[in-house]
Amino acid sequence: MNTNETHVTQENKMKRRWGMAIDLDKCTGCGQCSIACAQENNLPIFEDDSDQPKRVAYLELMKVTNDRDAKYPNVEVTFIPKMCQQCEGNDPSNPKPPCVSVCPVVATDVGDDGVVSQVWSRCIGCRYCQVSCPYEARAFNWWKPRHEGSFKKSLNSDVSVMSRGTIVKCTFCSHIWKRERDKAVAQGITDINAVLYTPTCASSCPTGAIVFGDLNDPDSEVSKLSKDKRAFRLVHTIDEKPEDEKKRLMKLKDYPNPKVYYLSSRQWVRDMMRFK
Amino acid sequence: MNTLVKSVIDFIVETYNSYSKSMQIFFIFLAVNIFLFMVFAIQILFWGLGYTDMNNIFAMGVWIIGDLGLVSLGGGAFFTGFFLYMLRVDKLEPIINSTVLIGFMCYLFTFVFLVFDIGQPLRAWFGYAYPNWGTHLMPQSMLTEVVFCLTFYFCVLCVELIPVVLRHKIIDAIPAFHYIGHYLHRLMWIMAAAGTFLSFFHQGSLGGGMWDVLYGKPGWFRAHHQFFFMAIVAATAGGTSFMTLCPYIAGKVMKKEVAPMETFQTLAKISGAMFIFYTTFRIYDVYTMAAKYVPSFDRNYLDIWGGYYGIWMLVFEFAACFTAIAMLNIKKFRDQEKFMVIGISSGVAAIIMSKLYVVLHGFSIPNFPWKSFAAYNPTIQEWFITTGGLCCMIAIYMIMAKWFRLFPHLDKHEHHAE
Ligand code: SF4
Ligand code: SF4
Repeated sequence: MNTNETHVTQENKMKRRWGMAIDLDKCTGCGQCSIACAQENNLPIFEDDSDQPKRVAYLELMKVTNDRDAKYPNVEVTFIPKMCQQCEGNDPSNPKPPCVSVCPVVATDVGDDGVVSQVWSRCIGCRYCQVSCPYEARAFNWWKPRHEGSFKKSLNSDVSVMSRGTIVKCTFCSHIWKRERDKAVAQGITDINAVLYTPTCASSCPTGAIVFGDLNDPDSEVSKLSKDKRAFRLVHTIDEKPEDEKKRLMKLKDYPNPKVYYLSSRQWVRDMMRFK
Repeated sequence: MNTLVKSVIDFIVETYNSYSKSMQIFFIFLAVNIFLFMVFAIQILFWGLGYTDMNNIFAMGVWIIGDLGLVSLGGGAFFTGFFLYMLRVDKLEPIINSTVLIGFMCYLFTFVFLVFDIGQPLRAWFGYAYPNWGTHLMPQSMLTEVVFCLTFYFCVLCVELIPVVLRHKIIDAIPAFHYIGHYLHRLMWIMAAAGTFLSFFHQGSLGGGMWDVLYGKPGWFRAHHQFFFMAIVAATAGGTSFMTLCPYIAGKVMKKEVAPMETFQTLAKISGAMFIFYTTFRIYDVYTMAAKYVPSFDRNYLDIWGGYYGIWMLVFEFAACFTAIAMLNIKKFRDQEKFMVIGISSGVAAIIMSKLYVVLHGFSIPNFPWKSFAAYNPTIQEWFITTGGLCCMIAIYMIMAKWFRLFPHLDKHEHHAE
């Protein structure tokens, strides 16, 4: 065993629980987050990427309107940036995302920081995890990934290039965190909790709609936003139930319990989260 | 070498010419399908699953339906073996070889379809090398359970098939093979017991458990052991119907009595009884889905049916189940060949529909309120790999029926004729 590893003491035990809060009232739908994500994570770029259901993207910018048949001036539109919601299941102390337990070869797992990882060199491409994900957050490489033209020159060396026939997904840019930790270690700081980081989508958003941070830290901005009265989670109606009912339902089954929160003051956006 | 090739070709042509016109057309149909299967197999294996209509929403398609159907219907092999070797229902003896062969092929092609279905076929062995085991002996992933149980049961079927092959006139004449075949045959009850044990697990996990653990998905989630056991009962009911139907059709095609009517009726009766269990179980399943599980997603049971895969699927399934129950359990009907055939065909149709329901209905349900029901339309590659696989199975069955001792009952008549 490495001598560094023997020094895992109480204070450098993982304390972080990464989460995100996205203010839909601030989002203009510019798509910068999605482009930055594709660039950062070496996502394949095809000449024609219009085949949306087969597209490989971690961050989908969903366009939602209040009513499909509505006419001007009654049309309202919002954009929902959607990535892996880093689900926890009913018990955050023993996370059980819908997608992890199903993988037959342990190619996806949940880390002690709550981030659901994906190892595509292990993945056999059975897509069982994709079937289990209620947020359509996982993408499959239906074609051999390509990086046309000069895109090849801009590949990120911190992220391995994906291969055909494997599942990929957002990991909250955990490679950036690793990079930051490596930097800290180089400066002699070995406490794993010493560094914070920001995923690319959050740092690229021009309006500051995406906030990232540690949900375990009550003083962090993300923690405060998650408790805001404008906050909700994607299609997670159990949040609105009275405590007793919540308990009863959670006995019946696990709920995804995502760590990505959305904020909006528009009632119709919140109503959209419920099936009629 | 040339003479060998020539004699093989001559043999094929001669055999082909010995058949009627309609059979010759059928052979051409089989050959075309198998040829296209090979062409598209190369395309899919080398250039990937982009050529299918599956996508990030409809992540599985016709091949997984094929897998579920084949395993469930092929599951009739373990149940028939269980009745013959463990419960000593000797009337089933004349069709046991056919049953074992069908089971073997169903499982073989399940693996074939799985290899096409996974994105990285060369990593298929990861399933054995890095299995997702949970605590104790229980696998964490239902797919891990499927992989192991399918493999073991396939091995059992291989052993069960050996005596059928060894009983070939030429091979049986060699004393060593004769005795191996003989003693293996006597050990069959062990195989039947092992097969039954293994079958229980993978029938349950592939047909039910794999889907009911998906707690984020309203079309599938329900109590784990509910769907798990229902899939086992489905396999015993539909599988036995299928094991009756195949030799029956073979007999009609060969225009011979491949097994006594009593044998067919015995297995049909078992199937009918199992359909009563299955249908009762299924009614309970629909009830709990509607009353308990779908509402836990804040959704209404009827609302999750829509698009192309509407509630008609459920109506069809129940209609087929009730037809099978009536035709196979009422002696008056079962004793009439016509009604018995309607019964077993309905049984097979009910199980196929239940598998279509799992896959098509399950995937079609929208995950977000602003999205509509998804649809899936298999591409030519998917169709021909599926039909080509089924045609391979038919071809193997025909070859075995013609040249091997698939139907021992035929021997009696042939000896009489000689
Ligand atoms: S959003 Fe999907 S991929 Fe992400 S943790 Fe949840 S179930 Fe898994
Ligand atoms: S697609 Fe890959 S990550 Fe997903 S369940 Fe299958 S092997 Fe695991």
